[in-house]
Amino acid sequence: MNKTARLLVTLALLGGFGGALWFSLRGHPAQQAAAETVAATELSGLIAVDVEDFFKNPRVVQVLAAHRLPVQVTRIGSRDMAARVLPGATPDFFFPSGVVAATQVTEAGRKAGIPTASYSPFHTPLVIASWEPIAKILVDNGIARPLQPQVYGVDMDKLTQLMLARKRWKDLKHSAAYDVSRSVLVSTTDVRRSNSAAMFLALASNAVNGETVSDRDTARRTALRLAELFKRQGYQENYVNGNFEDYVSQGIGKTPLAWIYENQIVGHALAKGGIGGGMVLLYPQPTITNKLVFVATSERAKTLGALLSNDAELQGIALQHGFRIADAERFAKAVQPTGLAVETRLTQVVDPPSFELMAEMIDVVTKEMGQ
Amino acid sequence: MKLALRVSLLALVCMALAGCDRPAVDKAATPPPPPPAAPAAHALQVLATTDLRDIEPLQQMVLKATGVNLQFRFGGTMESTEAVLNGQSGADLAWFANAKYLLSDAQGQSRVKLQEKIMLSPIALGLSESTARELGWDRPDRAAKVTWKDIAAAAKAGKLSYALSNPATSNQGFMALLGVVASASQKADGLVAADVDRSAIAAFLKGYRLPGDNSTYLSEKFIERQGVDVNAFINYESWLLGLNQSGKLREKLVLVYPHEGVSTADYPLLLLNDARRDDYLKVVAYLKGETAQTWLARQTLRRPVVPEVAEKVADILPRDAMRIELPFSPDRALADGLIDAYLNEFRRPIASTFVLDTSGSMERDGRQQQLIQALDYIAGVDRSLTGRIARLTNRERLWMQPFSDNPYDLQRFEIPAGTASARGVQVLEDSAAKQKALAQVRAFAAGLNMRGGTALFDAVLKSLKNMADEKQKNPGYQYSVVAFTDGESNKGRSFDEFKRDYDQLPEDARSIPVFMVLFGDANERQLRELVKVTGGRLFDARKTPLYSVFKDIRAYQ
Repeated sequence: MNKTARLLVTLALLGGFGGALWFSLRGHPAQQAAAETVAATELSGLIAVDVEDFFKNPRVVQVLAAHRLPVQVTRIGSRDMAARVLPGATPDFFFPSGVVAATQVTEAGRKAGIPTASYSPFHTPLVIASWEPIAKILVDNGIARPLQPQVYGVDMDKLTQLMLARKRWKDLKHSAAYDVSRSVLVSTTDVRRSNSAAMFLALASNAVNGETVSDRDTARRTALRLAELFKRQGYQENYVNGNFEDYVSQGIGKTPLAWIYENQIVGHALAKGGIGGGMVLLYPQPTITNKLVFVATSERAKTLGALLSNDAELQGIALQHGFRIADAERFAKAVQPTGLAVETRLTQVVDPPSFELMAEMIDVVTKEMGQ
Repeated sequence: MKLALRVSLLALVCMALAGCDRPAVDKAATPPPPPPAAPAAHALQVLATTDLRDIEPLQQMVLKATGVNLQFRFGGTMESTEAVLNGQSGADLAWFANAKYLLSDAQGQSRVKLQEKIMLSPIALGLSESTARELGWDRPDRAAKVTWKDIAAAAKAGKLSYALSNPATSNQGFMALLGVVASASQKADGLVAADVDRSAIAAFLKGYRLPGDNSTYLSEKFIERQGVDVNAFINYESWLLGLNQSGKLREKLVLVYPHEGVSTADYPLLLLNDARRDDYLKVVAYLKGETAQTWLARQTLRRPVVPEVAEKVADILPRDAMRIELPFSPDRALADGLIDAYLNEFRRPIASTFVLDTSGSMERDGRQQQLIQALDYIAGVDRSLTGRIARLTNRERLWMQPFSDNPYDLQRFEIPAGTASARGVQVLEDSAAKQKALAQVRAFAAGLNMRGGTALFDAVLKSLKNMADEKQKNPGYQYSVVAFTDGESNKGRSFDEFKRDYDQLPEDARSIPVFMVLFGDANERQLRELVKVTGGRLFDARKTPLYSVFKDIRAYQ
């Protein structure tokens, strides 16, 4: 660039700023309206199915419109999101189903030179949706204990050992109510595709390892040992709702133990005003919590991230979709009318292994499943 | 993922030869593909499995409620799965009874953008009441404990002879086989190819009397033959309940859900074309709404996936005892090995006569080339999902009956038996002897001369007599006649004369179905009449390539 050109550019830029300043000071009505239109451009987002209903909720749409942050969201698989971090074509935000996928997105952003900011506006623990007769069998075998009506705590260590020992339901004591020759297994979605299954792997690794896996060797060894818990399930649903829908529509014969996010069943109970007969929740002890992470790649999306985390109304709507928020009392109150019993205070919560180790473990399981 | 590899290799080969989805045989003989039917503007193309034919009225309901115009095309499970896997379905959506074959494959997963289960129907064994009483399975407490292994034992003992759609092409057939395998293996999970108890499959298939490839056809035949040579029907609960309601059965069916071996079709609606996502979501929302769910339950007897609706229609669907679902094994080696072993070793071997029109008109419009291509296809090397169904199978006996002014001499071919492995199942390579036999069939096709008139009825009658004679000597085969013509019968017997002579044939000959292929300028009305008399089915090869029609017929043999 020669001197003249540089000067021209500088002048043009100054002119632009000056013009903007002039317009904003003057408060020209037409210009103001135009500015509003600019502010109301839809934010584009790629979201996980978990938060799809939330964004579809008319009240959410209203609140976002009032804050001039309307969104245009598309649902895709969380693990496919990192690949959509592309210079010049990145959406304003990503809202994957969990920390693992969110970290992939921020990593991809770092590599592509796209700065990101993360927010965790709501969370939900992982639970095992089950049935009264199943829970009773587990209690009789010292694996679970009742916490309150329709709520049980399940000893994750014992349950994992039982599954690894390849016990069948009919091998258990007092199993007449579920006297079948299928193995005791928790059904998950496909670990190669889904966040919730990765959370199961994380929790089970903690159970067999006695603590959070923190080195590569242990990660590989543990994953190798746990791979059969996925492989032996046979075909697994590869979208997040598949497992829960099977639980609800096909029942005990298909899914005696369904690994789900608590928000799935709470959201279901809130939407339907209750739950089906015989449905109970088993809270793993210890348990693991899934944080839904909102990753912003633009300034306006950052504003949206903060709004989702702090706005009382949006937080209230999140409750209606079954999520937990920082305020545990509010969550308890929201669930109460449905008759679904939940454990509001979670005491033993473990951390998942680091992102790198999780990725390593998922890799090992994936390889084992391919054999 | 051996299968995925094979499929993609096939796709590559096809691409190299230009014009896929047709067998890679003789490029020069390949006629140009028919222009694809222009889709109505904005119509949403849906590739559905054939057992969904009864949901067609939904098209109007969906259109009215959502403005989305669904256009259904129907195909067998395996064939449709293959089309979607290869990305050649040309459809925006797919609607399968079971998409687990597709979705346990990485390539298949990548084709599916969204999926949503719409309704449920478990596969059940429907027994004639009298048969249920004989077996003691009419008592609910006994019925609740019947396993696939028990069913296989009853079949082996000759107490059960059933209708079932082809295990190599349909979900019902395949899942029934898998149920037997799981039940006999005693394994609690993780079934693999090596676990297959071969004797259990052989026992089960002893009772397989009425094969076919779609539920409409099988239901018609079952109504005709119930109490004659079949006394049971294995199919989706919805079809069995429908038969019970139809009032057409000689005896009602008692439904048995195999203990710990129920396979439930969950009818996922799959989005293939992401550009139609909005329409897809509208359709799903409607189908999962109360109106459609209730309609599906009341009209088609499938179970709603929405529990609140399920409660409301509980009066029309059997109250269930606990149905323990059979886990689906995603092990492709098991699926491929099982299908291969079914076709080449376990199934009642096929014996059929191909009646081939070699009249002068066959020289026109590339017809002779199409016939050669079709025969080359069934005697070819295509090991894809659909190719393996079309291919001649081990132990198969085949007679060629060319005709023009008169039926010529019959020419006999036989595919040798393979060597059975002691345990488990696996896809076996063709033996040298099999390759030789296949080459003989292809050489025969290449040597056909086209001239003279069309003595169709004489040729069909002669073939039926041939099959009846063979059946007397070797009752262990599955007999049929496949007749192919490109024009009107103008030599030999008239249709009335044929009918008169047909009626004189022994019962054994008359029980052999004739699969009639309509080609070129054939007289549709006449052939329809013929099939009505002989039993069997009419296949139209005027718009579909001949080889593809031959493949369809193979699933009925």
